[in-house]
Amino acid sequence: MNQARIGLLVIAAMIAAPSFAHAQKKKKPAAKPAPAAPAVPPSAPPVDAAAAGVAPPAGQPTEIDADAPAGAAPTDPAAGAAEPPTPEPGDLGDICKIDPAACPTMNLAEEAKKDLKEQMYAVQQIYALRRHRFEIQPAWNAITMNDQFVSHPGPVVALNFYVTNVLAVGVSGGYYFNNDSTFNFQTRRAARVAVPLTEYQWQAALNFTYVPIYGKFAGFSDFIFHYDAYVVGGVGAISTRPIAVVDPDNRSFAWDKPKIAFNAGIGLRIFFNRWFAGTLEVRDYIFIDRLEATAIAPGEGATDSGTWYGEQKLTNNVQAQLGVSIFLPFAWEYRLPK
Amino acid sequence: MRRILTVLCALLGVFASTRATAQEIQLTGPLAGAPAVRQLRLHRQGRVEIAPTVSFTLLDEYQRTILPGGRLTYNLTDWLAIGVWGAFGAVKMPTDLTDRIQSITAMRREPVPPDGRGEPNDPPDNISINNLRTMSSIGPQFKNQLGQIDFIVSPQVTLIPFRGKLSIFQKIFVDTDAYVFGGPAIVGLSERETCEANCFDAFNRQSRTAIAPTFGLGFNFYLAKFLALGLEWRGIPFAWNTGGFDTRGANPDGRFPDNKVNDQDREFKFNQVLSVNLGVYIPAKPKSSE
Repeated sequence: MNQARIGLLVIAAMIAAPSFAHAQKKKKPAAKPAPAAPAVPPSAPPVDAAAAGVAPPAGQPTEIDADAPAGAAPTDPAAGAAEPPTPEPGDLGDICKIDPAACPTMNLAEEAKKDLKEQMYAVQQIYALRRHRFEIQPAWNAITMNDQFVSHPGPVVALNFYVTNVLAVGVSGGYYFNNDSTFNFQTRRAARVAVPLTEYQWQAALNFTYVPIYGKFAGFSDFIFHYDAYVVGGVGAISTRPIAVVDPDNRSFAWDKPKIAFNAGIGLRIFFNRWFAGTLEVRDYIFIDRLEATAIAPGEGATDSGTWYGEQKLTNNVQAQLGVSIFLPFAWEYRLPK
Repeated sequence: MRRILTVLCALLGVFASTRATAQEIQLTGPLAGAPAVRQLRLHRQGRVEIAPTVSFTLLDEYQRTILPGGRLTYNLTDWLAIGVWGAFGAVKMPTDLTDRIQSITAMRREPVPPDGRGEPNDPPDNISINNLRTMSSIGPQFKNQLGQIDFIVSPQVTLIPFRGKLSIFQKIFVDTDAYVFGGPAIVGLSERETCEANCFDAFNRQSRTAIAPTFGLGFNFYLAKFLALGLEWRGIPFAWNTGGFDTRGANPDGRFPDNKVNDQDREFKFNQVLSVNLGVYIPAKPKSSE
C-alpha cells in the first residue's frame, strides 16, 4: 500500500515536473532588440552565459532562448548590457584563477551571433532501423503483370543484409507454377494461330536494395504505421522451357540450361512492428528466351529436337509479389537519443 | 490440440505486439485522449477535386487502350468522398498478337495467295480445314473486329483510411494519402456485331453498354496545398468478346463454336486499368485539425 502511494506521488511529481521534459516548449515573448553587447577583449575576464546578455534570476538555472535575436539585451533593465559583470564565485572566472591556460578566450557574444549548424531531421528517430540487420522476405508471386498468355505464380524468398540503413545486399530465389491462359486455346482454335509459350521453373539472383523513401501513415486518424519504399536490382539465372503448342505431338521440351537474368524492381514495405512488415513488390526479370519454332520441319525432321527451337527473344517477366519481411535481430539500440 | 493452441497463442502474441508497438499512443498521462496527429492538414475535407486523368489498360490480349478523362470528387470529410470518374478510349493500339494473326490469316481470304503459297480461298466453298474453321472468326482486317472500350463512366464512393507523409532521400517531404474506392461502371463498348447466320461475311462492330462493378485503390501525393499527383489501379470485371471470335454456343455444353457470333461468345475478363492524375483542389487552402 505504501509502495502504491509512493508510486502515485512519483507520478504526480513527474507530471508537475518543469517543461524541459516537453518536446516543444512554449515560446516566450521575444525580447526587445537592443544594441549588441560590446565585444569582450581577450584579456578581459571570461564570461558565462549570463555575461553574454542573459541574466538569470538569483538562484535560478540559466536559460538560453535560442529563438531570441542574436545579441538581445537582457530583459531586466537593471542588468546593464554595456557594463561587463563581475565574475561570480563558481563561474568560469574561477577556472581562470586556478589555471590561466585553461581559461576560455572565446567571445561568447560573437559566438552567439554565428549560425547554428544544428541538424534537424523531419523524422527524428526512424521507427525501424535496418542497419546491420538481416531481412528474411518470403513472398508469393501473385500477379504476372505483362504476360497475358501464361501466368507464373509461385513462392519467392529473399535474404538481405543491410550494410547501411538504406543499402542492402542479398540473394533471392523462387519456384514457379505456370498457368496457361484459356484465351491461348481460344485463339488457336478460332484463328488457327499459335503463339509460342514459355514456362518457368526457378530463378535465383544476387541483389542490391536501396531504400530512398521513408514515411508514415495515420490510419483512421487513430493508429500510426511506418513504411518505406525501395528499389532493388540484381543479376542471376532463370530456368525456362517452351510449352509445346505448335506441334505437341512430336515436341517435348526439357528444362533448358539456366539463362542469365537481370532484374529490377520497386517495393513497398509496411511495418507492423519493428521487425515484422508486409511487402508489396513489382520486379521485372529480364532475360533472353528461346522460343518454340512456329514452323514444323517436314517428314522425319519433325521429331528432330534440333528443329524445335525458333527465335531468341528478349523477355520481360514483370511480377507483382506479396509477402512479409522479418528483420533479425528483433531489437536494437539507437545510436543517438531521441 | 495442444500444438494448435500453442500456434494460436504464438499468433495472438504476434498480433498483440503488433498493435502495441505500431500504435504507440500514450494511453495515460497528459496525452491521454489526445489526437494521434495535431495540426493535420485536412487536404480533402470540404474541398472539391478536379483531376484530369490518363488511364492505361493492362494485360490486354489483342488491343491496348489509352483513356484520357477526368475525375470530379467532393470530399465530405477527410476520409469520405463521393465523385465520378469518366474516360474516353482515345488511343487503341493492337498488340503483337493481333499483328501476327493479321499477317498469318490475311492470305486466307485471298482467292489466290499473294505469294503463290498457302491455301487458295473461295469461301464458302473452301475445303481447307484452316479456312473453314476460321471463316466465321477472322475477318479481312482482324483489328477492325476487335472489341474495344469507347468510354467508361463511374460514379464512385471513395474511402480514405490512411493519411501520412513520406520523405525521399530525407530531403523532399510530401503529404500522402491512400484510398480505396468502388461503385458501378457504365462501360461503352464496340464489339463485333451479332450474327446468327453467314457470319463469314459479318465483321462490323456494333456498340453496346455494359454495367459492371468497379473498385480499386490509389495514392495521392500532395505537391502543394491545392495540387496532388495521383496513381490509381482499378478493376472492372465484365464479359465481352475481345477478339470478335466465335468460340461458344454448340454442344456439348455450349463450349464449341456454333458459327454464330452472339453474347454466348463473350468471355468474362478481369479488366484492369492504371491511371495517373493531377488533382486540383478548391478552395486552394486546406483546413487544419486542432
